[in-house]
Amino acid sequence: MIKTDICLEEMTQREIIQYLDETVKPDKGVIPAYIMGDPVIYDLEHKKVFLKTWLFLGHESEIPNNGDFITRDLAGHSVIISRGDDGVIRGFYNMCTHRGMKLCRADKGNKGRFTCPYHGFTFKNNGELIGVPMQKDIYGGNLDYKSMGLHQVTIDMYKGLIFGTWNDNPEPLSEFLGDFKWYIDLAVGRTHMEVVGPPQRFVIHSQWKIGADNFVSDSYHTMVTHGSIAKLGMVPNAAYSKKGYQVSAKNGHGCNIGMPNPVFAFPEELIPEYKENLSDKQFEVLSNLKNLIGTIFPNLSFLVSHTEVKGEAISNTTIRLWRPIAVNKMEVITWFLVEKNAPEDWKRRSREAFILTFSPSGIFEQDDTEVFTDITDAASGPIPLSKNFKYNYTMGRHRVPVKDFAGPGTVYNDKFSEANSRNFYRYWLDLMKA
Amino acid sequence: MNIEKVLAKYTFEQWLYDEAKLLDEIEFDEWFNLMHPDLRYEMPVRVNKEGMERPDYSEDMFAFQDDINTLKIRVDRLKTEFAWAEMPPSRTRRFVSNVRIVELEEAERAVVDSYLLIYRSRSTDIHHDLISGERRDEFKFFNGEWKLSKRFFLVDQTTLNTRNLAIFV
Ligand code: FES
Ligand SMILES: [Fe+2]
Repeated sequence: MIKTDICLEEMTQREIIQYLDETVKPDKGVIPAYIMGDPVIYDLEHKKVFLKTWLFLGHESEIPNNGDFITRDLAGHSVIISRGDDGVIRGFYNMCTHRGMKLCRADKGNKGRFTCPYHGFTFKNNGELIGVPMQKDIYGGNLDYKSMGLHQVTIDMYKGLIFGTWNDNPEPLSEFLGDFKWYIDLAVGRTHMEVVGPPQRFVIHSQWKIGADNFVSDSYHTMVTHGSIAKLGMVPNAAYSKKGYQVSAKNGHGCNIGMPNPVFAFPEELIPEYKENLSDKQFEVLSNLKNLIGTIFPNLSFLVSHTEVKGEAISNTTIRLWRPIAVNKMEVITWFLVEKNAPEDWKRRSREAFILTFSPSGIFEQDDTEVFTDITDAASGPIPLSKNFKYNYTMGRHRVPVKDFAGPGTVYNDKFSEANSRNFYRYWLDLMKA
Repeated sequence: MNIEKVLAKYTFEQWLYDEAKLLDEIEFDEWFNLMHPDLRYEMPVRVNKEGMERPDYSEDMFAFQDDINTLKIRVDRLKTEFAWAEMPPSRTRRFVSNVRIVELEEAERAVVDSYLLIYRSRSTDIHHDLISGERRDEFKFFNGEWKLSKRFFLVDQTTLNTRNLAIFV
């Protein structure tokens, strides 16, 4: 029996977890609204999910040269990702080890060393402390440089994607991604891909999970939310997003593969490169790909979208982070990627298609953000919790996975399903309970 | 300042005020008619640079990078019954100021700078969004009228504090 006078703030952590376990039923397709709007859940999630798992920081191509660096957020903490003079990429907590000043305030740059604006301690871009003004005189030559290097942050990479974690004992990144790498390859590892320009950033009054969840499973909304796009003839028809496969992988990852596609969505000149970087089966899927939308748990989504712009079909590839700022607020950060060796004109058209469809001004993007903010609004406050309002995530529960698909994971041969969301919340719940 | 300059300043101030009025009143077709077929409509991504390094915006990435055809797609979309982002439309108020004529060739072309502040309110939400920035506009004289042939909007935020750019800048 579920209590109606429930207040999470008055519960112990153990009781909150117990309550989550009683009310969040991913396998049954029952997701309560309060997990989107309750600040107590948000705080617990920060501890149990964001401080434990791998989180996306940036792409290798953003720091191609020795001395390049970017500053990024890792679960609410600023970190510097720098490529040392030895070419090695390292992560550092963005804080001077003397008295805690933020060492670096630019988004990006190139520096062999970082000098603190407070008292002028200087650190090499491999983290070593190498200079202290007047140190002989004021420390009597006794300052222990060795113990005062920058605090290292654990990072690892897959196909150019740089992830970091605060977990002292993380599952290796490669294992965390598991079989899902097969699909990540299609999105960002099909050949040499590079990020163009800085990521686009905007803040919306939305709970972060709504974005991650939308990209992991929700092909169904395309018919209505993005109905304007079909009206304009940029995609075939309102139900085009149904055709294809939905794939659930371990650790909450999942994607939707829009297939088939009568035309090749990528530059044909690069077919030899794709064949070299992908297995035969992966290449076969790529050849038929209409779109690819997925989420790497918890909050990194990727998207390959193929649309018609000015009478010509063109695809664009993006990755986006749903970075939580508060229970009802997130920063959306979107990177545009393109094949490094694509013809210049193809690159230009692909970027144009991205800006028109999925940038902050994008005509797909803008309708999504409208929905996200209103779901968040309705999930906020005490009522969704006390009245136990729930969402229905049962779509596709009757479907049986197919066995003959080329790629790994649990595969359904229809994109209109909430199987991936059930998988996402199952893993989320596991982490919350751990 | 000579009389031609004063008149030109007046002409372009009025042009920009009229444009603001059309956008605030959601007269997109009339607004679109102010555009020259050669239009380049751009809003680069602003970035935090180290120290005084300039430009402090990207030359490779944009929030808007439209020509007349893609702008037409945006306007047409807003007229379908599925353009949720602006349904019902935001209440916007565009404040245009600090208008400066940078270049002028009488009845030929002109380059005009101005500041823009957009107030945006949606639905019953008591939060409002403010979008601030500087425009550099280029005009061509076309069939007896000044038409906008290039807009470069430099926004004052590196992270935009608005849910989307379903509105024009
Ligand atoms: S805090 Fe950085 S040098 Fe003192
Ligand atoms: Fe969407």
